[in-house]
Amino acid sequence: MSADISPIFGKLDWSVTPYTDLLREVNSSTIVGAGAASVLVLGAIAAVALLTWMRWWGPLYRNWLTSADAKKIGIMYIALALVMMARGIIEGFVIRTHQSTALGTLTQPESGLVSPDHFAQLFSTHGTIMIFFVAMPLLIGLINFVLPQQLGARDMAFPVLNQVSLGLTAAGAGLVMISLLVGKFGTGGWTMYPPYTGIDYSPGEGVDYWLWAILISGVGSTLTGMNFAVTIFKERAPGMHFMRMPLFCWTSLCVAIMLIYAMPALTVSSGMLALDRYAGSHFFTNEAGGNMMNYANIFWMFGHPEVYILILPAFGVFSEISSTFSGKRLYGYTSLVIASMSIAVISFTVWLHHFFTMGQSAGVNIAFGIATMVIGIPTGVKIYDWMATMWRGRIRVTAPIVYLTGFFLLFVIGGLSGIILANPSIDYQVHNSTFLVAHFHNVIIPGVLYGMLAGIHYWFPKAFGFRLDEDWGRRTALLFVGGFVFTFLPLYVLGLMGLPRRSPTFQNPDFMPWMYIASFGAVLMLCALASLAWTFWTSYRNRLALAVPGGDPWNGSSLEWSTPAPVPEWTFPHIPHVAARDDWGECKRSGDPWKAPQDYVDIEMPANTAHGLLIAATASALGFAMVWHIWWLAALSFLAIPALLAWRGMQVIEPRIVPAGEVEEADRRFRTMMADLAPATRADEETERNRGRPDLSEFAG
Amino acid sequence: MTKPNTGEIDPQESARQELRSYGIGFVASLLLTVGAFAAALSDLPTVWKIIAICAAALLQIVTHMRNFLHLSFSVEQSREDLLLVLFSAMLLAIMAGGTWYIMSDLGGRMHGNSHEDRSTSLP
Repeated sequence: MSADISPIFGKLDWSVTPYTDLLREVNSSTIVGAGAASVLVLGAIAAVALLTWMRWWGPLYRNWLTSADAKKIGIMYIALALVMMARGIIEGFVIRTHQSTALGTLTQPESGLVSPDHFAQLFSTHGTIMIFFVAMPLLIGLINFVLPQQLGARDMAFPVLNQVSLGLTAAGAGLVMISLLVGKFGTGGWTMYPPYTGIDYSPGEGVDYWLWAILISGVGSTLTGMNFAVTIFKERAPGMHFMRMPLFCWTSLCVAIMLIYAMPALTVSSGMLALDRYAGSHFFTNEAGGNMMNYANIFWMFGHPEVYILILPAFGVFSEISSTFSGKRLYGYTSLVIASMSIAVISFTVWLHHFFTMGQSAGVNIAFGIATMVIGIPTGVKIYDWMATMWRGRIRVTAPIVYLTGFFLLFVIGGLSGIILANPSIDYQVHNSTFLVAHFHNVIIPGVLYGMLAGIHYWFPKAFGFRLDEDWGRRTALLFVGGFVFTFLPLYVLGLMGLPRRSPTFQNPDFMPWMYIASFGAVLMLCALASLAWTFWTSYRNRLALAVPGGDPWNGSSLEWSTPAPVPEWTFPHIPHVAARDDWGECKRSGDPWKAPQDYVDIEMPANTAHGLLIAATASALGFAMVWHIWWLAALSFLAIPALLAWRGMQVIEPRIVPAGEVEEADRRFRTMMADLAPATRADEETERNRGRPDLSEFAG
Repeated sequence: MTKPNTGEIDPQESARQELRSYGIGFVASLLLTVGAFAAALSDLPTVWKIIAICAAALLQIVTHMRNFLHLSFSVEQSREDLLLVLFSAMLLAIMAGGTWYIMSDLGGRMHGNSHEDRSTSLP
């Protein structure tokens, strides 16, 4: 880095793009880098052109970006996550391609598609994106969409705060995306351990991109956690006792608690590393009293609860779909609640197993190893509960059930390899090898990814009014299952053969067959991604045939299935009085569930506001300015954030009133339409006859 | 559904009192923060510096709980709040205690506080 910093542009100049690298030297690595940047630029240009051509800017701004409706915020979270997932999966594909061309010799150790430094950026961005900008937005989005509907609430407790959280997450994701085009990303892996990521060994902008993306989006996630917790504690419909909440709400509560207590640890460790890098402090440096081991300690204090933040919403989804699609009541509700809460608490006591080999004595390792094995017990309880739920049920093999089956088979393997790794003496043998890589992909892909995609498939009709194509849904699910098996099971073998994780090159030709199998799996993963995109597209084209205006396409039993599809912004014309667990199912059992409410009243909805958008813009500017040392912009945007908060605080904000007449008209239209719809039986579920009004005589849940 | 305990600001009666409580909390927190920095920059012996900073931190926690989170020992306090405070305390104890346990063990093995240990452990 040059010492002179421009007062206006900071460290930015024309030499930071991958195109300049390409001009300097043409090889496969710079071509891949410039190609990725070009995809980003062309994608952005295409998006802007499309929005302009279709005149969608106005509707996008009015109906989405400024909306404080939790359902829309949830959908935006998921859209963000899917865009980031496309990048993450493609990066995973490049990683696998590189490694299958990376066999070197002792005289010429480095070969392969991309340069070692580029490879390090790839696995660092891949991990950062997949955890923070795919898994987290997917689950937060799904919870935002589903939780208020299941609780019988109109919205989150703090709708505008929700908007701000989304804005902060998007700002972080934007920073990671910009790093493709402007400058480089860090090379320290998604955990960015110092001292390597300290200013001495990583002087460039890469680690700073990671730090600011994490700091900004981390604040957003903490706020989201608080929002979820307050919503669950304060906004439940009358009669919705804790033990009447659907399981997805319970796992959301666990997630909320863990977000509140775990995310600050990440903010603290990243903040301390930022102070080391910017302010010359010595928290994690080699000299002057720094202790880099404390970084690993604090980071994983966040990191382990994070694992369960990711997995618990998927457990909630699997609880819902295993019951709905086998036409049975959920088996062992109480045990599932207790298991979820136990997981949430025990997950705070196991973080040391991420650094068994850091040098602490055997006694410390054993204590945390035992805690780690203990956490497998509630997870096992859950698997048995879901299997018991499906046992002797009339199972319809829909796409979510394919995901669930894949999850059963694969997640158990991943969980068992986790129990193996929980033993410190075994961990010493395989730590930092691809055995570990295989393990955590083995829990995160079948757990989080399958769970979230199953949830998207399950609740999609509620959001958009039409079902997703079942055939393509199943194909996607099978491709993701096959892709996982071929990509990651070979990594277990490679890990046992001694291949370290994150290695840009190796000299053992015995690895090659397994590398090729893994690359084939990566191709399948790409196909799965394409198939997922095609599922959305083909379903959109057939939306009239797939429409389910009745709103209950799967014969469900929780409150969200009582409303039309797509669900109106006020969700419920009248806040329901809950009398039982699975209240909607009870209504079905006791006769006509689609009775109109007796009276309609005006409904207060949060007014649209650009607050979240402004906060997101200032936060992005702050992050970008700090990365490139553009101090005037950093100071300006740093002061703008409290100014925006104070400005909004001083305004009188009126909610938007939806008049009773409008609600009544829409609701009456829905009720008359319901009366005309022919009930669809289980056998008709995937056909055009399923218009969202199920045959109640078949309801057994 | 428990009754709200945060006491929304009522312009007629308690707004002044509420604002006063927030104001006191803010000023107290500010003073305690400045005090901690002052202690760190002062010429006091290190032990006293650490004691002063810890005391300021604990007092600030109490201030936040009282003035911002509206927790008190009064009877009206809801049971949910108590449970949440206890739960937070437990998790923080796990984190702080765990850090102490891990880092002191690592520290002991890194710096080996006596020469005898090192000489006996070497072959």
